[in-house]
Amino acid sequence: MTVNTQSLKKLSNTPVFWVVLSLAIVTSPHIGRFPAWSIMLISILFLWRLFCINHEHWLPPKWLLVIISITSFAGIFLSFGTLIGKTAGSVLLSVLLAIKLHESVSRRDFMLLISLSFFIIVTNFLFSQNIPMVIYMIFAAIVLVIGMISINQDSAPLDLNYKFKFSVKILLQSIPLMLIMFMLFPRISGSLWQLPSEKPSALSGLSDTMSPGNISNLIKSNSVAFRVKFRGTIPQQQNLYWRAVVLWYFDGNTWEIGMQNISQLATLYSLSDDIISYTVTLEPHQKDWLYALDMPFNVPDSLIYTNNYNLRAKHKIDSLYQYEISSVMEYIIQAKITPWERSSGLKIPFNTNPETIQMGNKLSRQYDSNEDIVNHVLELFNKENFHYTLRPPLTPGFNSVDQFLFDTRRGFCEHYASSFTLLMRAAGIPARVVMGYQGGTVNPLNQVMTVRNSDAHAWSEVWLEDKGWVRIDPTAAIAPQRIERNLEAALDPSESRPFHMQINNGFIRDVLFYWDAADNQWNQWVVGYDKEFQQRLLEDILSRKVEISDIILLMVISFTLMMLILALFIMKPWYYQKLDPVVKIYNSFCKKLATKGVCRKPYEGPIDYTQRVIRVFPEQRNSIELIIRLYTKLRYEAISSDRQLEQFRYQVKKFKPGK
Amino acid sequence: MSSSLPLIPKVFERFIQSWADKRQPHTNNHVTVDRHRLYILPTRHGVAYFLILLVILFGSINYENSMGFMLAFLLGSLGLLGMIYTHHNINQVTIKIGHAKSVFAGQNIDFPLYLSCPSVSTHPNLKFLSETGQITSAHLIEETSTSCKLQLNATHRGYISPGRIKLFTEYPLGLFHAWSWLKLESQCLVYPTPDPNHYPLSFSHDDTNGLTLGDKQGVDDFFGIRQYQAGDLPNHMAWKAIAKTGELQTKLFHNEIAEEISIDWKNTSETLDIERRLSILCRMILDANDHDIIYGLEIPGTNIPPSSGLQHKHRCLKALALFGSTEQ
Repeated sequence: MTVNTQSLKKLSNTPVFWVVLSLAIVTSPHIGRFPAWSIMLISILFLWRLFCINHEHWLPPKWLLVIISITSFAGIFLSFGTLIGKTAGSVLLSVLLAIKLHESVSRRDFMLLISLSFFIIVTNFLFSQNIPMVIYMIFAAIVLVIGMISINQDSAPLDLNYKFKFSVKILLQSIPLMLIMFMLFPRISGSLWQLPSEKPSALSGLSDTMSPGNISNLIKSNSVAFRVKFRGTIPQQQNLYWRAVVLWYFDGNTWEIGMQNISQLATLYSLSDDIISYTVTLEPHQKDWLYALDMPFNVPDSLIYTNNYNLRAKHKIDSLYQYEISSVMEYIIQAKITPWERSSGLKIPFNTNPETIQMGNKLSRQYDSNEDIVNHVLELFNKENFHYTLRPPLTPGFNSVDQFLFDTRRGFCEHYASSFTLLMRAAGIPARVVMGYQGGTVNPLNQVMTVRNSDAHAWSEVWLEDKGWVRIDPTAAIAPQRIERNLEAALDPSESRPFHMQINNGFIRDVLFYWDAADNQWNQWVVGYDKEFQQRLLEDILSRKVEISDIILLMVISFTLMMLILALFIMKPWYYQKLDPVVKIYNSFCKKLATKGVCRKPYEGPIDYTQRVIRVFPEQRNSIELIIRLYTKLRYEAISSDRQLEQFRYQVKKFKPGK
Repeated sequence: MSSSLPLIPKVFERFIQSWADKRQPHTNNHVTVDRHRLYILPTRHGVAYFLILLVILFGSINYENSMGFMLAFLLGSLGLLGMIYTHHNINQVTIKIGHAKSVFAGQNIDFPLYLSCPSVSTHPNLKFLSETGQITSAHLIEETSTSCKLQLNATHRGYISPGRIKLFTEYPLGLFHAWSWLKLESQCLVYPTPDPNHYPLSFSHDDTNGLTLGDKQGVDDFFGIRQYQAGDLPNHMAWKAIAKTGELQTKLFHNEIAEEISIDWKNTSETLDIERRLSILCRMILDANDHDIIYGLEIPGTNIPPSSGLQHKHRCLKALALFGSTEQ
């Protein structure tokens, strides 16, 4: 046991150990993002270096390090096709630092490695900026500071406990400074340069195509798609259709966006004065489309409003993105259909789904009004033996609609939307598929609505004379609870649910609400802290217009003030000046004499010293003797009065040696 | 030798030194480091550290990455606090210098340094750099005082003072280099370097025969008693005679009478330079002392009568050390 604590103590004073530990900690969040071979390589390099602490002759020779470097360069290039993308660059940096570790033996190398490891921390932030990440950052910083102390302590016998406490202390003192800088460092908008884009990582989210099974797959993910803060009252659940993509082109199995809608005429007539305004905070999804309630109304210039009445951003959303938008719930869009839309909205894939097409044709002959056809099909879904399920049977091939309508009859929203739209087209009604989300959960703590990937949905739009494009949700016909409440309520009780829907415990639900609210606050205040937010916040606090120069001035002043406070707190100068006033006055007397070359020797008592002083300044004998009499009286006699102290102070003040 | 300051050329170091000397002309045998005599600069590592953070800051601005901002500001603040801690590490530390034992030129002088601080506190890794480039570390760990030895190379004979001692520290983060130049009053007497060769010691009464070392005659041959002279060995005291007469008496032995020698400047070759001649004389004194030979020293300006013992040796060596200088 004593041997163990001994070796632990020795290890805790070994800089290499801390450098390896720091690098391991800053690299570890990348496990899962990096290719397995690189994680293996980095781990082996770390362990090898640790082993070499006591066996330095085992350090790899230079030629081997060169071979490892070249091999990993090649490996990264083969894995990613580039060396400078987001992931590729992170792997490259981590591997290079792990290799550099084997060349490092001096204090200088270790200090450089510690500083370079900050870059690895930053690469983590390119992937995630959530709350656990900041906790991790603080933890990593503690280890880094212990590492820096260990490098600089030399032979000083400091134990781990002391070093840990010191790092925590210095970090706690850094936090107020960090907050000041974070809040007041002037933000600018817009990029100075761009990293070459990489093929987007497999983020779960809506895709731009719809085929049987892909939405029901997405439902399994409970991750947040976006959050919404409504300006006024929150609309009813069944009206929350978050529009994202409009799909025109169908090949018998998969719906795609198809060609760009080139219609010149995009018109929207609001039928009510009730405008719903809200702010959307979108999680990065690597696509350029945005979400808005049917139908977006006042669209800011920074966004693109397409002829399909959906919104697009001007770039891919690769970090948290916030926008304000309004919608109207009652509307008429495209009262007059354009030729392009009519032809695209009636296109039927050649030679597929013959039964469906036959049925559509029959319906068009059967009914005069298009509304009746729509109602007939919806009734069909409702009355006949159709099922709403998360686990529909597979319907592969180009006759997927036929298989669903006339055979399996078990499906999820994409099956209903797909078959409904095709039926309408066959019956001569222009129709299209819309994908997005439906519903959302309001957090009672902050009234913020969270829309998750499990709320993904697909529905149809048909064009009717005088009404324009009308939203028809066939899922509402088969499973009205899905629309009115949520997916969980709509599923058959016997069907097994994804894990996130099984949480029925009230306590866990509350905790999740708290977590969600915290996450939202974090997104609003920290991740989304940008130029506009900073400006708004400071204008709110100072209640006046704020220029960038004001922000800089405020930053400099408050940072300096805080630094001063901390410096005083660390140095405690009052601690050294807590001297007896008598001693203080005596010291000033000695100082006056010292300027004339008569220094008090450290071993000299007041009597000896004044004897020497009198020899130098004999004509001032009286005043010197008076001062020393007062001093000895005040200092060494138990009884002394304030009057004497004042007299002593006065005499010393008056005293001018050599005059 | 390059500059002992980080990132500062030697020329500038001299300039800073002379400026610092003007600010703090007063010297003593002790000094308390305070902000008037404490200087601080970033180290090479410190500059690299802040440059890396600057790069991170630019990256964060470009990608509007809030956590990147946070990291840059957290570590930046940490570095600046590290500056305060480094400053604090030597602030208010009192250094007192002691007396160093005499050494021969070319050896290292050990000046004892006593460190103290006003209260029980921790000041690890305080380093002293002597003028000849030796570094000594001292650590004050949860205590009020400690000591260490400052090594200084004795480059020449005579009195050597420690000169400008640099006290510096880079603890805790190694990002800043805080230092103070201390001019502490102390001196060490440095004897001339003993010549590496041994020379025959010539006797004063018989100049023809040199006595080479090794053929030592009987030390115990009792010869007689004479009056005590300063420098006589205590174990040669004639205690019985002292008891009888009440005066200090010293026993004399045969060899001491016979081998009373004079180490004379004139016996060294005039062709050699002064330092070499002093080295030879120094060697002779050491040899004579080692063999308990009674010796005297005659050099221009100084004449030390024959005697023996440690004090006598020191007196002779001191005369050599200070030969030609005004000090005595």
